[in-house]
Amino acid sequence: MPTITDERASGAAPVTAAPAVRRRRRTPLAARLRRDWPLLAMTVPAAGLLVVFHYIPTLWNAIAFQDYNPYAGVGGSAWVGLGTFERMLSDPGFWDATVNTLALTGFQLVFFFPIPIALALLLNSVLSRRVRKVMQSVVYLPHFFSWVLVISFFEQMLGGAGLLAQEMRELGMEPLNIMNNPETFPLLVTAQSVWMDAGWGMIVFLAALSAINPSLYEAAASDGAGRRRRLWHVTLPGLRPVIVLLLILKLGNALSVGFEQFLIQRDAVGAGAAEVLDTYVYFQGVVVGDLSYGAAAGIFKGVVGLVLILVANRVAHALGEQGVYSKQ
Amino acid sequence: MTTATIKRRHPERPVWEEEPSPVGKGLKGIALTGIALAVVFPMWVVLVTSLSPERVINESGGLVVIPGELSLRAYEQILSGGTVTRAVLVSTGVTLVGTVFSVVLSVLAAYGLSRRGSVLHRPLLFVFLLTFLFGPGLVPSYLMVTGLGLKDSYWALILPSAINAFNLVVLRAFFMAIPQELFDSARIDGAGEVRILTRIVLPLSKAVTAVVALFYAVGYWNAFFNAVLYIDDNSMSPLQVLLRGMVLQGTNPTGFAGPTPGTAVVAPNLAIKMAVVMLAVVPALLVFPFVQRHFTKGVITGAVKG
Amino acid sequence: MKRPLTAAAVDRRGFLSLLGVGALATTSGGLLAACGSGGGGAGDQGMATQTDKLLQLMPTYKPVELIPPDIAGVGGAPNGYLSYPRNLVQAITETPGTSGKEISAMAPHWGTVPPALGGNAYYDAINTRLGVPVKFSLQDGVTYYEKLNTILGAKDVPEVLSIPSWNVAGLAHFSDAAEALFTDLTPHLQGDKALTYPMLANLPTKSWLECIWNGKLMAVPFPSDGFAWGFFYRKDIFTKLGAVPPTTAQELYDLGKAVTDPNAKRWAFGAITWEVERLFGSPGTQEGWRKNPDGTVVNKIETPEYAAAIEFMTKLFTDGLVHPEMMNSTGDAKQLFNSGEMLMTTDGFGGWEGALATEPAINPEFDMQPVLPYSHDGKATPIIRGGGKVVFYSFIRKDLSEDRVKEILRVMNWCGAPYGSQEAELIQFGVEGQHFTRGADGTPVKNDLGNTEVAAPYAGISGAPAIITPAKYFDKVQARVDWNNAAMPFMEKDPWEGIRLEIPSKVAALKQPTEDKINDIIRGRTPLSELESIKKEWLQKGGEEGREFYAKALSDNGR
Repeated sequence: MPTITDERASGAAPVTAAPAVRRRRRTPLAARLRRDWPLLAMTVPAAGLLVVFHYIPTLWNAIAFQDYNPYAGVGGSAWVGLGTFERMLSDPGFWDATVNTLALTGFQLVFFFPIPIALALLLNSVLSRRVRKVMQSVVYLPHFFSWVLVISFFEQMLGGAGLLAQEMRELGMEPLNIMNNPETFPLLVTAQSVWMDAGWGMIVFLAALSAINPSLYEAAASDGAGRRRRLWHVTLPGLRPVIVLLLILKLGNALSVGFEQFLIQRDAVGAGAAEVLDTYVYFQGVVVGDLSYGAAAGIFKGVVGLVLILVANRVAHALGEQGVYSKQ
Repeated sequence: MTTATIKRRHPERPVWEEEPSPVGKGLKGIALTGIALAVVFPMWVVLVTSLSPERVINESGGLVVIPGELSLRAYEQILSGGTVTRAVLVSTGVTLVGTVFSVVLSVLAAYGLSRRGSVLHRPLLFVFLLTFLFGPGLVPSYLMVTGLGLKDSYWALILPSAINAFNLVVLRAFFMAIPQELFDSARIDGAGEVRILTRIVLPLSKAVTAVVALFYAVGYWNAFFNAVLYIDDNSMSPLQVLLRGMVLQGTNPTGFAGPTPGTAVVAPNLAIKMAVVMLAVVPALLVFPFVQRHFTKGVITGAVKG
Repeated sequence: MKRPLTAAAVDRRGFLSLLGVGALATTSGGLLAACGSGGGGAGDQGMATQTDKLLQLMPTYKPVELIPPDIAGVGGAPNGYLSYPRNLVQAITETPGTSGKEISAMAPHWGTVPPALGGNAYYDAINTRLGVPVKFSLQDGVTYYEKLNTILGAKDVPEVLSIPSWNVAGLAHFSDAAEALFTDLTPHLQGDKALTYPMLANLPTKSWLECIWNGKLMAVPFPSDGFAWGFFYRKDIFTKLGAVPPTTAQELYDLGKAVTDPNAKRWAFGAITWEVERLFGSPGTQEGWRKNPDGTVVNKIETPEYAAAIEFMTKLFTDGLVHPEMMNSTGDAKQLFNSGEMLMTTDGFGGWEGALATEPAINPEFDMQPVLPYSHDGKATPIIRGGGKVVFYSFIRKDLSEDRVKEILRVMNWCGAPYGSQEAELIQFGVEGQHFTRGADGTPVKNDLGNTEVAAPYAGISGAPAIITPAKYFDKVQARVDWNNAAMPFMEKDPWEGIRLEIPSKVAALKQPTEDKINDIIRGRTPLSELESIKKEWLQKGGEEGREFYAKALSDNGR
């Protein structure tokens, strides 16, 4: 028993990771299974559900390699190898949409991702318990709005017939073109996303902040660390594992930047600005009933996401972070 | 820390924390007010519109900012449907059972994967992570659910969406942040995994567990697509399916089921839509305080010291 | 096909010949006559072999007219009734159900779902009359497409499945689904066999023609009135502003200029694209394909009419005559129209019905009227774009016993009883005293229970021919019938009518990117001169394949 504990303890410390590996190799699999079976047993129910309701149905994505006809079934449809992928990847429209999507993801990583964190820090610093509680329980409410409602709202405030435009007309000015401007579209959609989901995204960071040991602040303060230094040396390290985790997951989803939001505003700014991968696949696959195309695009997105997660995780490890999964 | 400042100190401010500068204080006030307005104003508009009769909505050309005449017609119309009571019960039941089920399984799995160096944890973690990246098709999922005899069963609303990989890895990240010494000392005391989980990990992870429970609960409460697919029996419909129907009232593309003459005044469609938004917001407002309770500071200190 | 067109084709601009009065009178009139009165019509040789074969599948048409119309629809347009009939007829005396075994049915639904079977007196009342309970599963109309895709792919369908025509268009390989999953109704309904089901024999032949898959009669239609959309204006506001409905494109533009006033929060136009294309005579059938008099098949994008329509539309948008909220897909056209923020918009006639039901109570002056058909220069013969002839298809599951299929058809027959029958009243309003009371003029008025329980599903699994009644049109019955009768002669002829087209996905996938680029022109994001290069790209990326496909469909069918 004590030896096992020792091993785990050393495995936990990144500095001693290498010896731990060597030692683990000597522990036979059977012994490790005997040691860890309660942990495995705890994981099995959830994993089992996913295997049944997710993985087995996911195998159906093999239709990406077929000219699939649902009524002939996977067994009865002709296999076309990589034909669908070739068609998809040689289509400039597909790459335009991919580039657009990545650009929007990049934009949102910079201008959306930090906001829930900042919001959590701001609200957490509010001293009045009442104000804090009220603020915390209202800022996430726009999350329950649908995209249609969010965009209608923006339209009625900032659109050509909206409050702002009417106000400007009354003052004899030419109204600003906010809702129909392809150039500023990334800004617009990010603003919409922030308004809708920043509060919701904040909740997880609130939980992370509550897990930081307050005595660390006290110790830092008594060492003479000011507000900014405490934020840098106590708060951020406390939040870092969660931030890195969410950042990596976000990267894994880099090719899904949204769907409805872009579909709705497509006509307003044109496909050149609003076409993202999901809308492109929708029109090329779903609308025309080409299920194989949809499956192929799904696989493409999954593989790209996987690569991004693996790379990002590697980078995180290099920076001494834990990432999504640990090194060993 | 002079005596002069102590007088003005906020009672909640920890003794070691210095007074903020007036500028910082002012900026914070402005930011908070701005954020509050950005959220409260639209909520206000949604509420007022949901309470407005058609005439007022027509005059404003859509969403109503300044309340005119008020009417409860939209809410009456939603709540008077004979099947609403039953649908609320269905949704509540599915949400409660589903949330408990999901949270228990997720916590177990997250804990099972959170121990550094445990056998097979990396491949298992990938089992969860990959669901994040590759999704199943509708037809095979349907075949699986019906094949298990779950069509027209409430379990069809729970099992297929019971595990969310995002929630699971978030839980795991929090579990892994718990100081290693706590585990070591527990193990030296001879505690098994279940005991460590329930006696050490969970008490230290109340906030994140509550947050994950909230995420699952909101997911179950607002889900409708699984019901569309797997529930054919209209008497088993959850609330969201019913509410969607009400929003669609009068949008029949063929117009053949349009209102008949002499029927009671129909609430305007926009008011119904907004009332439905309000009905989605209210349960969240009711539940959030229970989540928020766990956002208190100092849990870990207590545990370590104790 | 060439023969009946020639007379009309010579003296008019080429593109209109196909759509003009002459063409319609000879071809579709001939078709209707041929099926309608047992082959006594013009004997249209243009509809060659294959179509003849399709016509042979058709159920014998035998109209059931329980009450004579107050205003007759001309040329196949629906009849109008000005009052609710006093003496209702029992159209069907036999009890259709014999087995007592529950029939499972699924239908789309838009609105509050009524209480399910077991807690619904309306269902019970009808099921008692049917002699067999029908258990409906009513499904969200908006997500019905996903539901259908799933249950069809999983081959798990109820005994009766109602599918909206616009859903069928998007379901891949649907003819394979029909073959694999549904009963071939030809042996039950072909020719005089249909007379066993008199209410089904009462359905127009044009709607039955759309029920053919793989050369078999696969479904029972719920017939439409044959019109797609109308272009509506606010007559009350027009009167106040001293404006009159346009009769040429120039007038439409001038009108737009005159009534648009952003400071007063008033714009002329809402949904406009469809109307402008129609106005300039751009083809509207089959994704814009048409057959020229010389026999060639062209798409709208290649025609000068379309180019003219795009140029005109660009002016409307860049001059700010379209309501800004209509730029986004969230724009609620009905709301903006009802509130008077925009004065003209395209809508379905169902939209008119909805507005008539709710708006006058809020704004007594509210007056919504359709613009009568006109053409861009006021001289060319206008065209009216037709809609599909079927709203819903009802399919019967495969592998049911012969007796079961017959029982279900008898149930559909009962549900298809037309206006003026006790059956139709029961379906539409429920039981007198329980679900509705009668107004002074005999019109049923639903009470609270009626509003809760009565839903459309029974009407959805079969249907009577479309009619115009005060139940939907109030005092506007005359206006609607007048519009129909004015529009009917200009109905665009679809050369592919009755031919089941499953468009190659390469051609179908071309649609959205092309529309996006056209849209960029209309909104002023790219210059009008781009149209030429859009056309070239379209031709090169699949337009030619589309042409071959559509031309082949015609030649295969001898048209």
